[in-house]
Amino acid sequence: MAEMEVKESSKKGPGVKKSKKKSTRVDLTPMVDLGFLLITFFIFTTTVSQPTSMNLNMPKDTKDPNLDTKVKESGSLTLLLGKQNVIYYYYGNDPATMQTTGYKNVRDIILKKKLSTPANDLFIIIKPDKDATYKNAVDILDEMDINDIPRYAMVDPTPDEYSKIQQTEAASGIK
Amino acid sequence: MARAKIKRGSTSVDMTPMCDVAFLLLTFFILAAKFKPPDVIEVVTPTSVSNKVAPQKDFLTVTISKDNKVFLAIDPNIKGDVLDELAKERNISFSAQDKANFLNAQFVATPISQLTQFDQLKPEQIKGANLPGIPVDSTNNELASWISAAVNARMGETLNYLIKGDDASKYETFENVLSAFKKNDIYKYNLVTSAESIPEGSELYKKNLEQQRSGKKAE
Repeated sequence: MAEMEVKESSKKGPGVKKSKKKSTRVDLTPMVDLGFLLITFFIFTTTVSQPTSMNLNMPKDTKDPNLDTKVKESGSLTLLLGKQNVIYYYYGNDPATMQTTGYKNVRDIILKKKLSTPANDLFIIIKPDKDATYKNAVDILDEMDINDIPRYAMVDPTPDEYSKIQQTEAASGIK
Repeated sequence: MARAKIKRGSTSVDMTPMCDVAFLLLTFFILAAKFKPPDVIEVVTPTSVSNKVAPQKDFLTVTISKDNKVFLAIDPNIKGDVLDELAKERNISFSAQDKANFLNAQFVATPISQLTQFDQLKPEQIKGANLPGIPVDSTNNELASWISAAVNARMGETLNYLIKGDDASKYETFENVLSAFKKNDIYKYNLVTSAESIPEGSELYKKNLEQQRSGKKAE
Protein backbone atom coordinates (compact mmCIF):
# COMPACT_ATOMS: atom_id res chain seq x y z
CA MET A 1 0.00 0.00 0.00
CA ALA A 2 1.85 3.06 1.16
CA GLU A 3 5.50 3.79 0.75
CA MET A 4 7.47 1.09 2.32
CA GLU A 5 10.30 0.84 -0.13
CA VAL A 6 13.66 1.16 1.39
CA LYS A 7 16.30 2.64 -0.75
CA GLU A 8 19.50 0.78 -0.97
CA SER A 9 22.25 2.96 0.28
CA SER A 10 25.17 3.45 -1.99
CA LYS A 11 27.86 0.89 -1.87
CA LYS A 12 30.48 1.31 0.71
CA GLY A 13 33.70 -0.49 0.80
CA PRO A 14 33.86 -4.26 1.08
CA GLY A 15 33.13 -5.66 4.48
CA VAL A 16 31.16 -2.66 5.59
CA LYS A 17 27.74 -3.79 6.66
CA LYS A 18 24.78 -2.10 5.14
CA SER A 19 22.73 -0.24 7.71
CA LYS A 20 19.08 -0.44 6.75
CA LYS A 21 17.35 2.94 6.76
CA LYS A 22 13.72 2.65 7.75
CA SER A 23 11.23 4.88 6.09
CA THR A 24 9.50 7.38 8.36
CA ARG A 25 6.31 7.18 6.36
CA VAL A 26 3.20 5.71 7.95
CA ASP A 27 0.26 4.21 6.19
CA LEU A 28 -2.54 6.73 6.70
CA THR A 29 -5.34 4.72 5.10
CA PRO A 30 -6.85 3.42 8.35
CA MET A 31 -6.83 6.91 9.79
CA VAL A 32 -8.73 8.25 6.76
CA ASP A 33 -11.19 5.41 7.15
CA LEU A 34 -11.76 6.33 10.74
CA GLY A 35 -12.18 9.99 9.90
CA PHE A 36 -14.84 9.39 7.32
CA LEU A 37 -16.58 6.87 9.53
CA LEU A 38 -16.92 9.51 12.24
CA ILE A 39 -18.15 12.08 9.71
CA THR A 40 -20.86 9.76 8.45
CA PHE A 41 -21.82 8.95 12.02
CA PHE A 42 -22.20 12.61 12.94
CA ILE A 43 -24.15 13.47 9.83
CA PHE A 44 -26.60 10.67 10.39
CA THR A 45 -27.14 11.38 14.05
CA THR A 46 -27.79 15.08 13.49
CA THR A 47 -30.48 14.67 10.87
CA VAL A 48 -32.40 11.82 12.49
CA SER A 49 -33.19 13.56 15.77
CA GLN A 50 -35.67 16.00 14.23
CA PRO A 51 -39.10 15.41 15.69
CA THR A 52 -41.92 14.62 13.32
CA SER A 53 -45.47 15.68 13.84
CA MET A 54 -48.77 14.12 13.20
CA ASN A 55 -51.67 16.26 12.09
CA LEU A 56 -54.85 16.05 14.06
CA ASN A 57 -58.03 17.75 12.97
CA MET A 58 -60.92 17.74 15.38
CA PRO A 59 -64.49 18.47 14.39
CA LYS A 60 -66.34 21.43 15.76
CA ASP A 61 -68.51 20.60 18.75
CA THR A 62 -72.14 21.03 17.82
CA LYS A 63 -75.10 21.10 20.14
CA ASP A 64 -77.55 20.38 17.33
CA PRO A 65 -78.06 16.61 16.98
CA ASN A 66 -79.09 17.06 13.34
CA LEU A 67 -75.57 18.12 12.49
CA ASP A 68 -73.98 15.05 14.06
CA THR A 69 -72.27 12.66 11.74
CA LYS A 70 -74.48 9.70 10.95
CA VAL A 71 -72.85 6.32 11.04
CA LYS A 72 -74.22 3.11 9.63
CA GLU A 73 -74.51 0.49 12.32
CA SER A 74 -73.22 -2.24 10.06
CA GLY A 75 -70.11 -0.28 9.23
CA SER A 76 -69.05 0.90 12.63
CA LEU A 77 -66.37 -0.42 14.91
CA THR A 78 -65.98 1.11 18.34
CA LEU A 79 -62.65 0.94 20.11
CA LEU A 80 -62.58 1.80 23.79
CA LEU A 81 -59.16 2.50 25.22
CA GLY A 82 -58.86 1.42 28.82
CA LYS A 83 -56.30 1.12 31.56
CA GLN A 84 -53.07 -0.83 31.22
CA ASN A 85 -52.99 -0.73 27.41
CA VAL A 86 -56.13 -2.79 27.02
CA ILE A 87 -58.58 -2.15 24.21
CA TYR A 88 -62.26 -3.08 24.34
CA TYR A 89 -64.10 -3.24 21.07
CA TYR A 90 -67.49 -4.01 19.66
CA TYR A 91 -69.18 -3.88 16.30
CA GLY A 92 -72.32 -1.92 15.55
CA ASN A 93 -74.38 -0.45 18.33
CA ASP A 94 -74.35 -3.00 21.11
CA PRO A 95 -71.80 -2.45 23.90
CA ALA A 96 -72.87 -5.74 25.49
CA THR A 97 -70.88 -7.66 22.88
CA MET A 98 -67.68 -6.00 23.99
CA GLN A 99 -64.49 -7.96 23.52
CA THR A 100 -61.01 -7.40 24.83
CA THR A 101 -57.75 -7.05 22.93
CA GLY A 102 -54.38 -5.33 23.07
CA TYR A 103 -52.44 -2.93 20.90
CA LYS A 104 -50.60 -5.69 19.07
CA ASN A 105 -53.73 -7.39 17.80
CA VAL A 106 -55.87 -4.38 17.11
CA ARG A 107 -54.45 -3.98 13.61
CA ASP A 108 -55.87 -7.34 12.53
CA ILE A 109 -59.28 -6.45 13.93
CA ILE A 110 -59.33 -3.11 12.12
CA LEU A 111 -58.14 -4.68 8.90
CA LYS A 112 -60.68 -7.47 9.05
CA LYS A 113 -63.45 -4.92 9.55
CA LYS A 114 -62.10 -2.81 6.72
CA LEU A 115 -62.07 -5.69 4.27
CA SER A 116 -65.52 -6.94 5.24
CA THR A 117 -67.39 -3.63 4.94
CA PRO A 118 -68.02 -1.37 1.94
CA ALA A 119 -65.55 1.51 1.97
CA ASN A 120 -68.26 4.15 2.27
CA ASP A 121 -69.84 2.60 5.34
CA LEU A 122 -66.69 2.03 7.32
CA PHE A 123 -66.47 4.23 10.38
CA ILE A 124 -64.26 3.70 13.38
CA ILE A 125 -65.16 5.33 16.65
CA ILE A 126 -62.36 5.81 19.12
CA LYS A 127 -63.33 6.32 22.73
CA PRO A 128 -60.39 6.81 25.04
CA ASP A 129 -61.52 6.64 28.64
CA LYS A 130 -60.09 8.70 31.47
CA ASP A 131 -57.48 6.14 32.41
CA ALA A 132 -56.00 5.71 28.93
CA THR A 133 -52.66 7.37 28.37
CA TYR A 134 -51.77 9.91 25.73
CA LYS A 135 -49.58 7.29 24.09
CA ASN A 136 -52.62 5.03 23.69
CA ALA A 137 -54.51 7.76 21.90
CA VAL A 138 -51.63 8.57 19.58
CA ASP A 139 -50.99 4.89 18.90
CA ILE A 140 -54.56 4.28 17.87
CA LEU A 141 -54.63 7.40 15.66
CA ASP A 142 -51.43 6.14 14.11
CA GLU A 143 -53.12 2.80 13.54
CA MET A 144 -55.79 4.63 11.51
CA ASP A 145 -53.01 6.01 9.34
CA ILE A 146 -51.31 2.66 8.97
CA ASN A 147 -54.51 0.90 7.97
CA ASP A 148 -55.56 3.77 5.74
CA ILE A 149 -58.93 4.32 7.40
CA PRO A 150 -60.54 7.39 5.81
CA ARG A 151 -63.22 8.03 8.40
CA TYR A 152 -62.82 7.88 12.14
CA ALA A 153 -63.77 9.97 15.12
CA MET A 154 -62.58 10.42 18.65
CA VAL A 155 -65.31 10.85 21.26
CA ASP A 156 -65.85 10.28 24.97
CA PRO A 157 -67.30 6.99 26.11
CA THR A 158 -70.91 7.02 27.29
CA PRO A 159 -71.54 6.41 31.02
CA ASP A 160 -72.84 2.94 30.15
CA GLU A 161 -69.71 2.00 28.35
CA TYR A 162 -67.55 3.46 31.08
CA SER A 163 -69.25 1.42 33.78
CA LYS A 164 -69.02 -1.68 31.57
CA ILE A 165 -65.28 -1.14 31.21
CA GLN A 166 -64.91 -0.70 34.93
CA GLN A 167 -66.80 -3.91 35.59
CA THR A 168 -64.64 -5.80 33.14
CA GLU A 169 -61.53 -4.33 34.65
CA ALA A 170 -62.60 -5.24 38.14
CA ALA A 171 -63.44 -8.77 37.01
CA SER A 172 -60.09 -9.31 35.34
CA GLY A 173 -58.18 -7.65 38.15
CA ILE A 174 -56.78 -4.68 36.22
CA LYS A 175 -56.02 -1.80 38.52
CA MET B 1 13.06 0.79 -33.48
CA ALA B 2 13.50 1.19 -29.84
CA ARG B 3 10.42 0.88 -27.79
CA ALA B 4 9.47 3.65 -25.49
CA LYS B 5 10.12 2.62 -21.95
CA ILE B 6 7.08 2.57 -19.77
CA LYS B 7 7.85 3.73 -16.33
CA ARG B 8 6.25 1.70 -13.66
CA GLY B 9 4.77 4.08 -11.13
CA SER B 10 4.06 2.98 -7.62
CA THR B 11 0.39 2.17 -7.03
CA SER B 12 0.41 3.57 -3.54
CA VAL B 13 -1.02 7.02 -3.05
CA ASP B 14 -0.07 9.48 -0.41
CA MET B 15 -2.94 9.46 2.02
CA THR B 16 -1.93 12.50 4.04
CA PRO B 17 -4.05 15.12 2.21
CA MET B 18 -7.10 12.90 2.32
CA CYS B 19 -6.59 12.36 6.01
CA ASP B 20 -6.34 16.11 6.46
CA VAL B 21 -9.59 16.68 4.61
CA ALA B 22 -11.41 14.01 6.57
CA PHE B 23 -10.42 15.43 9.91
CA LEU B 24 -11.06 18.98 8.79
CA LEU B 25 -14.60 18.01 7.88
CA LEU B 26 -14.97 16.14 11.12
CA THR B 27 -13.90 19.10 13.23
CA PHE B 28 -16.16 21.36 11.21
CA PHE B 29 -19.22 19.20 11.78
CA ILE B 30 -18.54 18.78 15.46
CA LEU B 31 -18.01 22.48 16.01
CA ALA B 32 -20.89 23.52 13.79
CA ALA B 33 -23.36 21.16 15.44
CA LYS B 34 -25.76 22.98 17.69
CA PHE B 35 -26.29 21.16 20.90
CA LYS B 36 -29.83 21.07 22.09
CA PRO B 37 -30.14 22.76 25.46
CA PRO B 38 -31.09 20.15 28.03
CA ASP B 39 -34.84 20.00 28.41
CA VAL B 40 -36.07 21.05 31.80
CA ILE B 41 -39.13 18.95 31.36
CA GLU B 42 -38.36 15.50 30.13
CA VAL B 43 -40.86 14.27 27.64
CA VAL B 44 -40.81 10.93 25.87
CA THR B 45 -42.99 11.36 22.82
CA PRO B 46 -44.95 8.49 21.32
CA THR B 47 -43.98 7.17 17.90
CA SER B 48 -45.97 7.51 14.70
CA VAL B 49 -45.53 6.67 11.02
CA SER B 50 -46.00 10.31 10.08
CA ASN B 51 -42.98 11.71 8.30
CA LYS B 52 -43.84 15.38 8.38
CA VAL B 53 -41.30 17.48 10.19
CA ALA B 54 -42.68 19.47 13.09
CA PRO B 55 -42.90 23.17 12.19
CA GLN B 56 -40.26 25.33 13.83
CA LYS B 57 -41.71 28.72 13.02
CA ASP B 58 -44.61 30.64 14.59
CA PHE B 59 -45.25 27.87 17.02
CA LEU B 60 -47.11 27.51 20.24
CA THR B 61 -46.04 24.32 21.95
CA VAL B 62 -48.12 22.82 24.70
CA THR B 63 -46.11 20.27 26.63
CA ILE B 64 -47.77 17.67 28.80
CA SER B 65 -45.35 16.12 31.26
CA LYS B 66 -45.61 12.61 32.61
CA ASP B 67 -47.21 13.83 35.82
CA ASN B 68 -49.95 15.55 33.79
CA LYS B 69 -48.74 19.10 34.20
CA VAL B 70 -49.14 21.47 31.28
CA PHE B 71 -46.49 23.89 30.09
CA LEU B 72 -46.49 26.35 27.26
CA ALA B 73 -43.63 27.48 25.06
CA ILE B 74 -44.17 30.38 22.68
CA ASP B 75 -42.11 31.31 19.65
CA PRO B 76 -39.61 33.94 20.89
CA ASN B 77 -40.59 36.25 18.02
CA ILE B 78 -44.14 36.68 19.22
CA LYS B 79 -43.66 36.22 22.96
CA GLY B 80 -43.69 39.93 23.78
CA ASP B 81 -46.91 40.57 21.86
CA VAL B 82 -48.60 37.65 23.55
CA LEU B 83 -47.76 38.96 27.02
CA ASP B 84 -49.07 42.43 26.13
CA GLU B 85 -52.27 40.94 24.81
CA LEU B 86 -52.70 38.77 27.90
CA ALA B 87 -52.21 41.78 30.16
CA LYS B 88 -54.88 43.62 28.22
CA GLU B 89 -57.36 40.76 28.30
CA ARG B 90 -56.87 39.99 31.96
CA ASN B 91 -56.50 43.58 33.12
CA ILE B 92 -53.14 43.02 34.74
CA SER B 93 -50.10 45.18 34.27
CA PHE B 94 -46.56 43.91 33.96
CA SER B 95 -43.58 46.13 34.65
CA ALA B 96 -40.80 46.45 32.09
CA GLN B 97 -38.65 44.24 34.30
CA ASP B 98 -41.34 41.57 34.46
CA LYS B 99 -41.61 41.61 30.72
CA ALA B 100 -37.87 41.25 30.25
CA ASN B 101 -37.88 38.33 32.67
CA PHE B 102 -40.74 36.74 30.78
CA LEU B 103 -38.89 37.03 27.49
CA ASN B 104 -35.90 35.29 29.05
CA ALA B 105 -37.86 32.43 30.52
CA GLN B 106 -37.95 29.31 28.36
CA PHE B 107 -41.61 28.53 28.94
CA VAL B 108 -44.67 29.32 30.96
CA ALA B 109 -44.94 26.85 33.82
CA THR B 110 -47.16 28.45 36.43
CA PRO B 111 -50.61 29.92 36.83
CA ILE B 112 -50.75 33.53 35.67
CA SER B 113 -50.88 34.75 39.28
CA GLN B 114 -47.40 33.35 39.94
CA LEU B 115 -45.98 34.29 36.57
CA THR B 116 -43.81 37.25 37.56
CA GLN B 117 -42.45 35.36 40.55
CA PHE B 118 -41.50 32.38 38.45
CA ASP B 119 -39.84 34.42 35.75
CA GLN B 120 -37.44 35.89 38.28
CA LEU B 121 -35.93 32.46 38.89
CA LYS B 122 -32.64 31.70 37.24
CA PRO B 123 -32.48 28.75 34.86
CA GLU B 124 -30.47 26.75 37.41
CA GLN B 125 -33.22 27.14 39.97
CA ILE B 126 -35.89 25.70 37.72
CA LYS B 127 -36.44 22.03 38.23
CA GLY B 128 -39.07 20.13 36.35
CA ALA B 129 -40.50 18.26 39.33
CA ASN B 130 -41.63 21.21 41.42
CA LEU B 131 -43.19 23.34 38.71
CA PRO B 132 -46.91 23.81 39.23
CA GLY B 133 -47.87 23.89 35.53
CA ILE B 134 -50.67 25.85 33.90
CA PRO B 135 -54.15 25.01 35.20
CA VAL B 136 -56.32 23.36 32.53
CA ASP B 137 -59.32 22.16 34.53
CA SER B 138 -62.75 22.85 33.18
CA THR B 139 -63.32 25.36 35.98
CA ASN B 140 -60.07 27.28 35.59
CA ASN B 141 -58.64 26.81 32.13
CA GLU B 142 -55.87 29.38 31.96
CA LEU B 143 -54.36 27.73 28.93
CA ALA B 144 -57.37 28.95 26.97
CA SER B 145 -56.53 32.53 27.99
CA TRP B 146 -52.98 32.10 26.81
CA ILE B 147 -54.12 30.71 23.49
CA SER B 148 -56.64 33.46 22.96
CA ALA B 149 -53.93 36.03 23.77
CA ALA B 150 -51.65 34.39 21.21
CA VAL B 151 -54.37 34.28 18.59
CA ASN B 152 -55.30 37.92 19.13
CA ALA B 153 -51.70 39.04 19.19
CA ARG B 154 -51.26 37.41 15.79
CA MET B 155 -54.43 38.54 14.10
CA GLY B 156 -54.81 36.96 10.72
CA GLU B 157 -51.62 34.99 10.76
CA THR B 158 -51.75 31.29 11.30
CA LEU B 159 -49.85 29.79 14.15
CA ASN B 160 -48.73 26.21 14.43
CA TYR B 161 -50.20 24.56 17.46
CA LEU B 162 -47.94 21.80 18.63
CA ILE B 163 -48.92 19.40 21.33
CA LYS B 164 -46.07 17.46 22.85
CA GLY B 165 -47.29 14.88 25.29
CA ASP B 166 -45.42 12.32 27.29
CA ASP B 167 -46.11 8.62 26.75
CA ALA B 168 -47.30 8.21 30.31
CA SER B 169 -49.50 11.28 30.54
CA LYS B 170 -53.21 10.67 30.92
CA TYR B 171 -55.66 11.13 28.10
CA GLU B 172 -57.77 13.29 30.39
CA THR B 173 -55.13 16.03 30.44
CA PHE B 174 -54.83 15.85 26.67
CA GLU B 175 -58.57 16.25 26.43
CA ASN B 176 -58.43 19.34 28.68
CA VAL B 177 -55.74 20.81 26.46
CA LEU B 178 -57.89 20.13 23.40
CA SER B 179 -60.86 21.81 25.06
CA ALA B 180 -58.70 24.88 25.69
CA PHE B 181 -57.98 25.00 21.95
CA LYS B 182 -61.60 24.36 21.04
CA LYS B 183 -62.69 27.30 23.19
CA ASN B 184 -60.70 29.44 20.80
CA ASP B 185 -62.15 27.73 17.72
CA ILE B 186 -58.93 26.00 16.83
CA TYR B 187 -59.35 22.52 15.48
CA LYS B 188 -56.05 21.75 13.79
CA TYR B 189 -53.09 20.58 15.79
CA ASN B 190 -49.76 18.96 15.29
CA LEU B 191 -48.92 16.18 17.67
CA VAL B 192 -45.18 15.92 18.15
CA THR B 193 -44.03 12.35 17.76
CA SER B 194 -40.84 10.55 17.00
CA ALA B 195 -40.58 8.85 13.66
CA GLU B 196 -41.31 5.19 13.17
CA SER B 197 -41.09 3.17 9.99
CA ILE B 198 -44.25 2.03 8.27
CA PRO B 199 -44.85 -1.65 9.01
CA GLU B 200 -44.24 -3.72 5.91
CA GLY B 201 -47.29 -5.15 4.24
CA SER B 202 -49.73 -2.79 5.92
CA GLU B 203 -52.34 -0.86 3.94
CA LEU B 204 -50.39 2.40 4.05
CA TYR B 205 -47.26 0.60 2.91
CA LYS B 206 -49.08 -0.82 -0.10
CA LYS B 207 -50.63 2.54 -0.87
CA ASN B 208 -47.24 4.27 -0.81
CA LEU B 209 -45.79 1.58 -3.06
CA GLU B 210 -48.58 2.04 -5.54
CA GLN B 211 -48.13 5.78 -5.54
CA GLN B 212 -44.45 5.36 -6.19
CA ARG B 213 -45.11 3.06 -9.10
CA SER B 214 -47.74 5.25 -10.72
CA GLY B 215 -45.52 8.26 -10.15
CA LYS B 216 -42.73 6.57 -12.05
CA LYS B 217 -45.03 5.62 -14.89
CA ALA B 218 -46.26 9.18 -15.21
CA GLU B 219 -42.74 10.38 -15.65
